[in-house]
Amino acid sequence: MAEVIKAFRPHVTWANARGAWPDMIFSTRVRFARNLEGFPFPNRAEPRQLAEIRRLALAAAKATGLFTRGHFIKTEALGQLEKRFLVERHHISHALAASVLPSGAAVSNDEDLSAMVNEEDHLRLQCLCSGFAIEDAFRSALKLDEALGRELPFAYGGKFGFLTACPTNTGTGMRVSCLAHLPALSRLGRMPQVLENLSHLGVTARGIYGEGTCVLGDFYQISNATCLGRTEEEFCHNIDRVIRNLIRQEIAAREELLKGPLRLRTEDAVFRALGLLKHARRLSYEEFMQNVSLARMGAAMGWNMGVDFSTFNQATLLMQPAHIQAAAGKPLDAEARDAFRAEYLRKKLA
Amino acid sequence: MKYCEECHKAAASVFLKLAVNNKVTETHLCPACAAKKGMGLGLETGAFNISDIVGNMSGYFKDFLPPERRTLRCGSCGLKYSEFKESGRLGCPGCYGSFESQLTELMTRIHGAAHHSGRAYAGGAALKFSKAEAGRRLEELRAELKAAVDREDFEGAARLRDAMKSLEARRG
Repeated sequence: MAEVIKAFRPHVTWANARGAWPDMIFSTRVRFARNLEGFPFPNRAEPRQLAEIRRLALAAAKATGLFTRGHFIKTEALGQLEKRFLVERHHISHALAASVLPSGAAVSNDEDLSAMVNEEDHLRLQCLCSGFAIEDAFRSALKLDEALGRELPFAYGGKFGFLTACPTNTGTGMRVSCLAHLPALSRLGRMPQVLENLSHLGVTARGIYGEGTCVLGDFYQISNATCLGRTEEEFCHNIDRVIRNLIRQEIAAREELLKGPLRLRTEDAVFRALGLLKHARRLSYEEFMQNVSLARMGAAMGWNMGVDFSTFNQATLLMQPAHIQAAAGKPLDAEARDAFRAEYLRKKLA
Repeated sequence: MKYCEECHKAAASVFLKLAVNNKVTETHLCPACAAKKGMGLGLETGAFNISDIVGNMSGYFKDFLPPERRTLRCGSCGLKYSEFKESGRLGCPGCYGSFESQLTELMTRIHGAAHHSGRAYAGGAALKFSKAEAGRRLEELRAELKAAVDREDFEGAARLRDAMKSLEARRG
């Protein structure tokens, strides 16, 4: 098994179900898009320039002291499985994984901070926290941004702010997002209306791995749609308000699922899902996500699921395709992965 | 308040000015009717495509543009504005200065604002280039210096000489 994967711990702190409302908000992420003055943006840079940018960026990340005992990765040299593993950990994007040009990432020791190099922008700096923790994630990401901004000259203009390859990120270059788990609203068929309402509030909803990815297991990534013309705090405040409102709606929907004849149906669905997770002999990632969504909701409702809430959270990370192969210690085809996943999950839930 | 000229019910918030064969028409629409006409910005759905917006804009404005503006290029990286319209990606930080008026318009459409109100940035340490990169940059500056001397631009030449000195001092 690849050295890169071995260097990472099996668990991550941001999946530990801590922070406020961990049953509804899986994690909070704040990212800044930054570029270096004196170089073209990655889409117009030559490979030698990209290599130089990476060298400068990784050296600067090291110099901040925020990545002590962390990981410094050159992505184009990695195999498919290793790249996929880093995508599943949210340290690199699908786009970066597909790139064959000089690119990379710095990841802190406990994996809450990372700096992705030469994706759409020279730098994408992020902080990932468990639960609903906008303030914490923002402060940490800002600390990283300010530390790196002292080491390197960022492209900045007084009028447009931080300059990025795509004008949708110009200004603060900041994206605040919460990974919300909304099984009750989904079950009651309310999500289309909820998403429609969100779109009027300057907010975007995406799938679990960000832009262009599908919704799995009722997890929605909710983030600010614009990032110019207001302060960073105002953008944070807007997302905070939207998420609090979403939490209220999900709580009300969960209460609805426990009333009258719906209660028995809900209980039946939750325990069937748990039964499937505990006893299946073949389990695809999609099927796992559909069922863990219900089991996770059952645990949040205080029903006896036999495992604690954190186990479900860590499982959503560990059951992903590259993580399954990392646990198996070898590459597996889809059929073998599904069998291994079922067995591995049975052990985790035992 | 202006009402939508299409449905006459909702408030008009989209102002559309069209110039066809030198004839200018102005229309005020509500977001729903604008979307029906294919002129929505897509902001309502949260899933908008930057090249669509820029593409639409070029349709609105192309008749106003003088020929030299149609081949607008970035002075720093050489990216044509038309290439940006295709890809939705700018080429370098200098593009923001080269296409400032176009981008001001675009930013207003995307973000509802064209001015940064967030944190100010005081600047960071100068880049410590690798020997190879510094060498390449010195070569470029040397060529520019020769050109400046040839055209007797001594002020420019002095600036370039300073830039070369500081680059040599920072060589990693």
